[in-house]
Amino acid sequence: MSWLKWFEFRGRSVFHLSYSFHRLTGLVLVLYLIMHLSYLTSLTFGREVYEAFIAATVTPTFLIFDILLVLVGVYHGVNGLRLILHEFGLAYDARRPILYLSYLITLIVWLYASYKLYVFVVGV
Amino acid sequence: MEEKVKNIIFRIKRFDGEKSYWSDFVVPAQKGMTVLEGLFYIKATYDGSLSFRASCRMGICGSCAVKINYKPKLACETQILHLNSSKIKIEPLDNFKVLKDLITEFEGFFAKHETVRPYLIRRDDNYAEPVELIQKPKELHAYYDFTLCIKCGACVSVCPAASTREDYLGPAAMVAAYRFNADSRDEGKDFRLAAICSDGGVWRCHFAAECSEVCPKNIEPAKAIQKLRFQSAIYAIKKALKGW
Amino acid sequence: MRIRNDILIVGAGLAGMRAAIAAAETSRQLSIAVLAKTYPIRCHSVCAEGGTAAVLREGDSFDLHAWDTIKGSDFLADQDAVEFFVKEMPKEILRLDNWGCPWSRTEDGKIAQRAFGGHSFDRTVFAADRTGFHEVHTLYERMVSYPNITRFDEYFMTSLVIENGEVKGLTAIDLRNGELVLFEAKAIIMATGGAGRLYGFTTYSHQVTGDGLAVAYRAGVPLKDMEFFQFHPTGLIPSGILMTEACRGEGGYLKNRDGERFMQKYAPEKMELAPRDLVSRSMWTEIIEGRGLESPYGPYIALDLTHLGEERINERLPLIRDAAIKFAGVDPVEEPIPVRPVAHYTMGGIHANIDCETPVKGLYAAGEAACISIHGANRLGSNSTAECLVFGRVAGEKAAEYALRKSYYPSVKAFDEEEKRIASLFREKGDESAYQIKTELNETMDKNLWIFRDESGLMEAVRKIRELKERYDNISVEDKSKTFNTDLTFAIEVGYMLDLAEVVALGALKRKESRGAHYRTDYPRRDDDNWLKHTLAYYTEDGPKFDYLPVTITKWQPVERKY
Repeated sequence: MSWLKWFEFRGRSVFHLSYSFHRLTGLVLVLYLIMHLSYLTSLTFGREVYEAFIAATVTPTFLIFDILLVLVGVYHGVNGLRLILHEFGLAYDARRPILYLSYLITLIVWLYASYKLYVFVVGV
Repeated sequence: MEEKVKNIIFRIKRFDGEKSYWSDFVVPAQKGMTVLEGLFYIKATYDGSLSFRASCRMGICGSCAVKINYKPKLACETQILHLNSSKIKIEPLDNFKVLKDLITEFEGFFAKHETVRPYLIRRDDNYAEPVELIQKPKELHAYYDFTLCIKCGACVSVCPAASTREDYLGPAAMVAAYRFNADSRDEGKDFRLAAICSDGGVWRCHFAAECSEVCPKNIEPAKAIQKLRFQSAIYAIKKALKGW
Repeated sequence: MRIRNDILIVGAGLAGMRAAIAAAETSRQLSIAVLAKTYPIRCHSVCAEGGTAAVLREGDSFDLHAWDTIKGSDFLADQDAVEFFVKEMPKEILRLDNWGCPWSRTEDGKIAQRAFGGHSFDRTVFAADRTGFHEVHTLYERMVSYPNITRFDEYFMTSLVIENGEVKGLTAIDLRNGELVLFEAKAIIMATGGAGRLYGFTTYSHQVTGDGLAVAYRAGVPLKDMEFFQFHPTGLIPSGILMTEACRGEGGYLKNRDGERFMQKYAPEKMELAPRDLVSRSMWTEIIEGRGLESPYGPYIALDLTHLGEERINERLPLIRDAAIKFAGVDPVEEPIPVRPVAHYTMGGIHANIDCETPVKGLYAAGEAACISIHGANRLGSNSTAECLVFGRVAGEKAAEYALRKSYYPSVKAFDEEEKRIASLFREKGDESAYQIKTELNETMDKNLWIFRDESGLMEAVRKIRELKERYDNISVEDKSKTFNTDLTFAIEVGYMLDLAEVVALGALKRKESRGAHYRTDYPRRDDDNWLKHTLAYYTEDGPKFDYLPVTITKWQPVERKY
């Protein structure tokens, strides 16, 4: 399946892996956007319907999906900033340290956001 | 000096025009023996039908780029024992149509190269009475590294943008375009950017930068492409403003 | 299938591509086809390293360049052609500059030149130590800008069609589908390069098997001076990869096991920069007299660049450094490079005159495939890339003028004879292997047709080659497929090489003198009274028939050749 070659991991460097994840997270975010918008259409059915949806999904069971979603979003955003920098022709020679730095920032932001989510849903 | 010979298994992906299959061969390898020499050994000793491209055996003609243990390399520059593996998997390059065994199609690759007008463009082009053009060493160094491309195709084979879209120009063609745009003797930047600044051109690159990782001549195509991108952006903006 | 063009150029190296450009510049109306068995930028010309000689600056002169070339050729070069050649060179350098070649520069931006063996002036223009590579890519890039040049890449030539002293066309296998195609053209230029893979220890690419030479020879075109093969002093061991003469041009030394610069004994004035035949003989003498250094790959001489410094090596010899590290595990900045004389250039070739015309109407030859002769019995470094440029241009222009004058296209009736001949290689039973035959051919060439030759060795070579030719009739090509049948092309190449080896061996046996690169220990002197002439070899069923041609002398009478 050559159309999946962009997802190839064997023999590829960390740069290619970052690209693959960027595309993967992008796809996930698009799918999530569609889901999220349909979710929000519940508003057109009135306050009770919307609040029922909220009560069902903002729960500890769904928390794990939300945390993963945050990872997807943060990764795509931070990596995206890295790409913007390099695509202006800047800092090419520092691309390896910048890549690792972007992973570090992603990790820190994600852990913090997950902690906040956890506290909100489950309580302290 | 000891002459240690190790028996290495070459697992080669074959293609006979209809179906693909794998062939295993045992190659007695010693220090200094390259993968290319291994392939010639197999052809002469076991199977004359094994087909691969090769010419200079010194890393300058670009014929023998193949995937060795999943990474594209020049077979002539890769020493068997340096791979530290008793089994070596050899396959043709990705993103190219396989014609036979390790030989892939290259027509499209060269056609894309021609699209970017990879030749010096000057108004005073005088075939009958050429004149010496002055170029300071610093000006030469600004583009020299990009002249070293041997057109082996390794960069294109690992480019995820090239796997996604057939019409993507690819790193090699764009390195050629930048090489001329950065040459102080050239006057044809805008002609080239017209081809580069297109749907299948520089905008399809999203900096996977894998090309720079695998280039056997360490040319850094990703660097050339980002610089080309900047030139293209200025060109596109200027064009849009002129139209306005 | 038949394909028709005005001009057909076989071989897409320096000479072939230069000819295509010259023909296209002569007329945009001509249809020009360039046919080669590999893509143009994969040609062997990319391996050229050191540079291209031309008279560019004050202090140099055409007469001096011509004299250097003629003396270097051991007076076998045709002097009218050499005089023409040196005058045309400067423009070729400037043209390449205008076409984008990244020539190395002096501080003030002018084209730089370096010293080279046998030249009395630093006239070798260079692009780092990848001159051939850059020239090929420049010519290729320029060539693709002409709309009337069509390329036939990966077509393997199998025969020339000559009728009534006129060339009609050629047959070639389209490697992609195995089909035999007939190409018809008004004019054909042979620019297929030399025949270095006759030897085992050689700088040549795998593809240089003398196809054009053999095909022309079999079609009745004479080959000239084939016994003269150049042995370049510095080939990396054991691969044979070229360590450019520029290593010595930039100041490198050759040392034997005692650490002495032994060239002092053989060429006290020029030292390491004496012409190649002299240096190779000196090195080989040191080796056979036991003063070579030892290695698991045999004896060698040390090419010492350590005193040049890392900066100079990186600036002027980057490819050499990379190749020495990659292929011999040696960094020239730290240690001397292990080298030995290696088969490097074919001075001989298809007999052509100063206009690149062969005795067959419409058939031209240029570059290493041709023997005009510019290089005589020994070629000076940086003169071959130069020859390809000048005579590529000449062949292109002359062929174009001929094609414009010619009113009709030659037509070939049928070529099924050729198809049958190739099909016969696929015979069912065959107990010989083309690969084995090539190995044995290489062994005998390396032993008996090397730097020092003698009667018994040459006779042994002739005997062995004839034996191999008989055994060749019993090979069978294993791969029966149609797509990219490299088994078939290899077998055909071995056939070509056997024919050429016979010409080389017999020519060397007949030439009872030593001149340039052809040195016989039983006839160690140059014999101008009897042998100041070119060897011509014609194909017959029973082997080559020889004739001789006088050398054209204009200004310079032969003198003793001392450096």
